[in-house]
Amino acid sequence: MRRIAGIVLAVLLICGVVAAVLAGRDNGDQGTATKTVRGVVGSEKAEFFADPDVVKALATKGYTVKTETSGSWAMEGLDLKGYDFAFPSSKAPADELAAKYKARQPLPRPFYSPLVVVAHRNAAEVLAANGLAVLDKGQHRGTLKMAAYLAAAGKDRTWQQLKGADRYGELTGTLYIASTDPESSSSGALYLAATSYVANGGRVVASEADVDRTAPLMHKLISVQGAQQPSSDAAFRDFVSGAGNPLVMVYESQVAALLGDRQSAGDLTVLYPDTTANSDHTVVPLTEEGRALGELLSDDPVLRKLAVRHGFRPQGDAAEFVAATAAHAAYLNQTLTGVRQPPVPTSKVLHEIALRARGQS
Amino acid sequence: MSTRHTRHARHTRHRLTAATAVLAVALLTATASACTSAQKPSQDPATAPEPGTLRVLASSELSDMTPVLARVEKDTGIKVRPTYMGTLDAVDMLAGGKTDGVYDALWLSSNDYLRLRPDAAKKVVSETSVMASPVAIGVKAATVAELGWKPEQVTWSQVEEAVQDGKLTYGMTDPARSNSGFSTLISVASGLSGAQSALTDADVTKATPRLKEFFKGQKLTSGSSGWLADAYERRGTVDALLNYESVLKGIPGLTVIRPRDGVVTADYPVTSLASTDATTREEVRRLTEALRTPAIQRRITDVTHRRPVVASVPPAAGLDTSRRRELPFPGSRSVADGLLDAYENELRRPSRTVYVLDTSGSMGGERLSALKAALRGLTGDFRQREEVTLMPFGSDVKSVRTHVVSPADPKSGLDAIRRDTDALNADGDTAIYTSLEKAYRQLGADRDTFTSIVLMTDGENTAGAKASEFDGFYRRLPAGQRDIPVFPILFGDSDRAELAHIAELTGGRLFDAQQGSLDGAFKEIRGYQ
Repeated sequence: MRRIAGIVLAVLLICGVVAAVLAGRDNGDQGTATKTVRGVVGSEKAEFFADPDVVKALATKGYTVKTETSGSWAMEGLDLKGYDFAFPSSKAPADELAAKYKARQPLPRPFYSPLVVVAHRNAAEVLAANGLAVLDKGQHRGTLKMAAYLAAAGKDRTWQQLKGADRYGELTGTLYIASTDPESSSSGALYLAATSYVANGGRVVASEADVDRTAPLMHKLISVQGAQQPSSDAAFRDFVSGAGNPLVMVYESQVAALLGDRQSAGDLTVLYPDTTANSDHTVVPLTEEGRALGELLSDDPVLRKLAVRHGFRPQGDAAEFVAATAAHAAYLNQTLTGVRQPPVPTSKVLHEIALRARGQS
Repeated sequence: MSTRHTRHARHTRHRLTAATAVLAVALLTATASACTSAQKPSQDPATAPEPGTLRVLASSELSDMTPVLARVEKDTGIKVRPTYMGTLDAVDMLAGGKTDGVYDALWLSSNDYLRLRPDAAKKVVSETSVMASPVAIGVKAATVAELGWKPEQVTWSQVEEAVQDGKLTYGMTDPARSNSGFSTLISVASGLSGAQSALTDADVTKATPRLKEFFKGQKLTSGSSGWLADAYERRGTVDALLNYESVLKGIPGLTVIRPRDGVVTADYPVTSLASTDATTREEVRRLTEALRTPAIQRRITDVTHRRPVVASVPPAAGLDTSRRRELPFPGSRSVADGLLDAYENELRRPSRTVYVLDTSGSMGGERLSALKAALRGLTGDFRQREEVTLMPFGSDVKSVRTHVVSPADPKSGLDAIRRDTDALNADGDTAIYTSLEKAYRQLGADRDTFTSIVLMTDGENTAGAKASEFDGFYRRLPAGQRDIPVFPILFGDSDRAELAHIAELTGGRLFDAQQGSLDGAFKEIRGYQ
């Protein structure tokens, strides 16, 4: 009998339905059969869907959600047959997927998160001493002055040329913000959206002429980095493990989730670019179940609360995020004071910017 | 094969219990054949699908994860069956579709090179870094003292200076065969080129003269980190090793230095593949999740000296937490491949090899054809400046023909090797030891090359000197010549114990073409030449 149980268990493990069984038992909800919904999500949302409380909250509503991660722009290249939804990290790739799979607009956008730069204290202080950033006194946060940073990058500034950097061995080489591959990952593309807006004189890049004008600087920002990480999760892991570039572009949600997990974040400093881009985490329903799930994520109070726990800002109610992150106000610019969030170029233009930035020219 | 196992077992770090050692042996047996074989996947025990088991194409240094993976299996029921391979070969396989249906996941030290190849990158669905280890230089404590180095202050330029002054020699793995060698090459080139951002073709060209000087100090090369450590210990005269911090921390007596001006860090992403189904990718995701739990992260850093990627787990004691600049990995394939090409053909010391080839009567027919095909295949792999001696034998050495692949005219040397290969004939008895003695005499004193002997035989010694006589001969050789290793290839009916003894005696390593192919064995040995 034990042997049979073992085999059954093994089969369950293989089929990956254990989560459903456990969830069903937890909430005593055996009456309703849960629907299994499959999706491809941006890497930064993997932990949200893996959170046992999220699994439980979804099961209460009759869902077992199975996810795989992929770069948001890379989702276009995947065969999504058999999936119920895709969940890229921004609107542009979501719109493209929606067009490809004929998903009905409007698309559910349950939560968003601005792009921020993470730095260790040393690097942040050197930036501040050289007019590239302003640090909030006594806090672990500040503002990155995008125009000043882009001017420095345009002139190939190295850390060695910044005063005060010589005290820190790791601060050598060209000054740049490490971002993800803009052709496959949303955060990398959004980085170009924000920087191209500044480089284009405070206007969204819209025309061929705009693309031409900004392309040399965009190419410089990307080419100095060499090989880039394919996902914001990988870039943030590098930073956490002490490897990687001194300045890394990540989502605020990743930082907020890290702060929520532990007592101290060491000498982490969060720099909010004065001009940044938001990731609008957008559900692309491929089936009716997928759409229902997207709406549930947007509307269900428990799931909204859990999204905040993972660092996301739910759409439509800023207070929810502010209240939930009160303990980490020293790190987070909760109300995004002084942070401009210009619109993102259309996906066609953004693709073109990314292509030119990555190209060998 | 037995030498290979005991060597691995001896050097696999820490707390290898008997059970995990047995497991390691089983894994290595399985993987060794995959490394050296061109067999059909369906016949290969290493790649046959099995429910609950993930077939993972992995970097060879991940063999130190065996005890951690045993723990993960206990926790999750997911078993990992690794097949070890160098980055370049693995990426080639992936790009060419040869991993489709054969492997469930990829686990290399880094996917940086993979991403330079769009044909390979599009086969990847997701990748998640699970641990990290930077490239470092491990230097004998006495040498650190002689050089007057403060470990935390050392730069790549200082390392270069010590090499130029003749005060520092080192070993490293072959960048074309081994992940650690490849990362080391990128680190050294970035560090010495003075490039402030990602390397360009122009940076590599500019740095070539300095790199050439630097690689004069390389006295040991190896296809794997394990054998490199063995050879270092045996040789005793090499001052340092370049490798991942995690590997160097496992070798006693080394002061591990991360140069102050920057390193390349391996981040070991567990990678799921588009060729697999959703169920398999779910298993890969569960494996990744298990590897990133705090308990397993703690175990990883304690057992393997790698750095955790989870903020709540600090690196193991002894891992210096001061920060280093991360040197950017090249952003284009032309730079990465150009650097490799320069290393093989221009920067490194050339290799010098005697191929002692059994062409006795028993080699007639298919075996001789296989040998000829394998040798002809090798001619595509010989590097510029390489010296190749073919020494076919039967009852005695039949001929000695030496060819050099000259940079000015590589074709003529390679053509000559092909001609000599085509002329091989099978007859006579098997005089293994007499022929080996002649190979040592032929090579004479070690020149400024990587010098080695490859022995391919399909049978036992039946003529000429006996094993004990060869032992005596070898022990009487001058020290310089005793540094020349013999790499025997087990083939046909050759005797494992006999060949293992030769490998053990001379500091070589046994390669198996009974399980795998002759072709594969010859290619694998390239990493050691």
